[in-house]
Amino acid sequence: MRKRLAITLSLMMAASIVAGCQAKSEDKLVIAARGGSHVTAMEAVKAEFEQKHNVKVEIIGLESADLKQKISLDAKNKNGAYDLIMADDPWMPELSEAGIFANLTELGVEEDADFEESSLALGKHPYQTGDLYALPFSGNVQLFFYNKQLLDNYNAEVPQSWEEVLHIANKAHEEDNLIGYVIRGQQGNPIVSDFLPIFWAYGGQVFDEQWNAQIDSEAGQQALDTYIQLAAVGANYETTDIVSSVSEGRATMALGWPSWFIAGETASADYAPIPSKATANGAAASTGMIGNWMMGVTANSQNKELAANFLTFITSSDTQKKLVEHGGVPTRKSVYLDSELAAKYKHFPIMLEALQNSVARPRTAKWSRVEEALGVELSAAIAGTKSIEAALSDANKAVNEIMQ
Amino acid sequence: MHSKRRFQWTMLAPVILLLIGLTVFPVVYTISNSFTDYYYLASEAKQFVGLRNYIKAVQDEVFRKAVWNTLKFMLLAVTIETALGLAIAVLIESLKKGAKLLRVSLLIPALLPPVTVALIWQMMLSNHNGIINHMLAWFGAGPFNYLMDIRIAFNAILFIDIWQWTPFAFLLLYAGLQAVPRSQYEAAKVDGAGKLRIFTHITLPNIMPTLLLVILLRTIDTFRLFDKVNILTGGGPANSTTTITQYIYRHGVYNLQIGYGAAASIIMVGLVLLFSVIYIKRSLGGSQNEMRH
Repeated sequence: MRKRLAITLSLMMAASIVAGCQAKSEDKLVIAARGGSHVTAMEAVKAEFEQKHNVKVEIIGLESADLKQKISLDAKNKNGAYDLIMADDPWMPELSEAGIFANLTELGVEEDADFEESSLALGKHPYQTGDLYALPFSGNVQLFFYNKQLLDNYNAEVPQSWEEVLHIANKAHEEDNLIGYVIRGQQGNPIVSDFLPIFWAYGGQVFDEQWNAQIDSEAGQQALDTYIQLAAVGANYETTDIVSSVSEGRATMALGWPSWFIAGETASADYAPIPSKATANGAAASTGMIGNWMMGVTANSQNKELAANFLTFITSSDTQKKLVEHGGVPTRKSVYLDSELAAKYKHFPIMLEALQNSVARPRTAKWSRVEEALGVELSAAIAGTKSIEAALSDANKAVNEIMQ
Repeated sequence: MHSKRRFQWTMLAPVILLLIGLTVFPVVYTISNSFTDYYYLASEAKQFVGLRNYIKAVQDEVFRKAVWNTLKFMLLAVTIETALGLAIAVLIESLKKGAKLLRVSLLIPALLPPVTVALIWQMMLSNHNGIINHMLAWFGAGPFNYLMDIRIAFNAILFIDIWQWTPFAFLLLYAGLQAVPRSQYEAAKVDGAGKLRIFTHITLPNIMPTLLLVILLRTIDTFRLFDKVNILTGGGPANSTTTITQYIYRHGVYNLQIGYGAAASIIMVGLVLLFSVIYIKRSLGGSQNEMRH
């Protein structure tokens, strides 16, 4: 009797394990997404699609590094666990080259001129000119945040050049012992994202046309010198402290992503496009780092057409207008220019302007490694363990080795 | 006899299969990958590259810094955690009242997952909103930039690890102290031995196997330091907190350079074995001696 019971229980357990391992049913779409506000926004609008197509949409929110790892590992499976995936835009060359995305043009997804051009270009492989592999889901772009009260105290206008930023930062530090400027100097992606806009303003480029590193250049030295001077009269903080210090008037200025300071209709600090010039009389350059979250259909999805339909739905103008209400960041011009929304969300015109003048990080499949190497050297320079010259020279060497 | 042997092998078979599947195969696979240029997303097959990954890792300034940081961290953390754990265990064992409450409350940090610990300390060490800088401000000190200042960041991570894992050392050593025969203490007292003499001649020899176990477990664990570093400092500033595991994660997991990550992992395993073998040999030798007696 006991033996029979044991056999029955074993069979039941085996059956349940097999059932659990079975492929997902056809009427279900699984999305691997960047956790947080993106998931909240999608969850809020997905019901309409589910009802229309009689399908269940499951959204799995993951931390950024975890998301990249999971979608990469799943790419080798014949039947993918995910039908749609979100990707940070610098990952696009690496993921597209690896064949992780399905070709959207072949799935009948048409290029829509309503998408902001700089955002749409990120989803093409090769960049700007190739076939479409992903659509821009969230139109993030870095902005310049400042405390208006403090700038007024120093009779300063919103700075247009980094020379002016440094001047105001010095004044705030010397006159009131305030934090003149906050850098985000954590080693890795934070310091690279924080430094590149200044580097670009000085006319620098990470690579030349043959993919040779150009970090150790005059522009690089001037930009890093400015960055270190800003840190000297300011502070080196992580995100939470950047937001609280600028918002509460203990620091004057910082760079940041819109979602840090802007929630719905309110912003805790004032904002403007990132200063585009090194000096007041210098040449203007595009400096707003674009950081869109893209979404594409996986090449190993078993529901490619349905997934493409969902992608069209979630990036449509109508849906983006609804997503905005739940913290979404539009990627379509028609949404930014919608009079009702523009009246409600005061940051829309600045965001659109910043997007239109934005710069994408270099489109190489090796960007993650380049960013890692550059971050190490920038961190060494601001910590004072290496001189500006040594840090930039070592960064150049390390990046060239990676690109070989 | 023959049937007895067959029975023994039948009983052992599931364990051997598990061992092969979960330990032997992954280790052999990792070693074989460490001699290749395996990049997970590459469309071409992996190529044999000999010792190139090992040479590259050893020549990499960041890897050498990671090894140095890990060794420094291991030595400091294991020494302080064991010494503090022993001191607390002796203190609590000598208490007449409140030992139970203290025992339970002391264990709380060790029960928390490392990620939670890192996030809690990130909030507490925050420059503007952190409770520690607020408290220091009452005394006119600070604020300190604990996680971004190259002079402080390493010590901040070390402090957090000590805070979390000293209770673990305490728990094992406290259990060891409970097992010391009371009669030995009584005999020593009758002979007129002082407290220090009792501690060095009775307590320490009796708890030596537990002490070695604590050192072994903490050595292995501190070598794997990852969550706190990755969340709190990202290895910076200027690589001052980079550890071997974080280095392996960045290259092998995040950048999917499996071959290179495998080579760095094998070097790490070698280092862990080097530091653990003394304790393992001593522990095994100890138990064999005990068995012989």
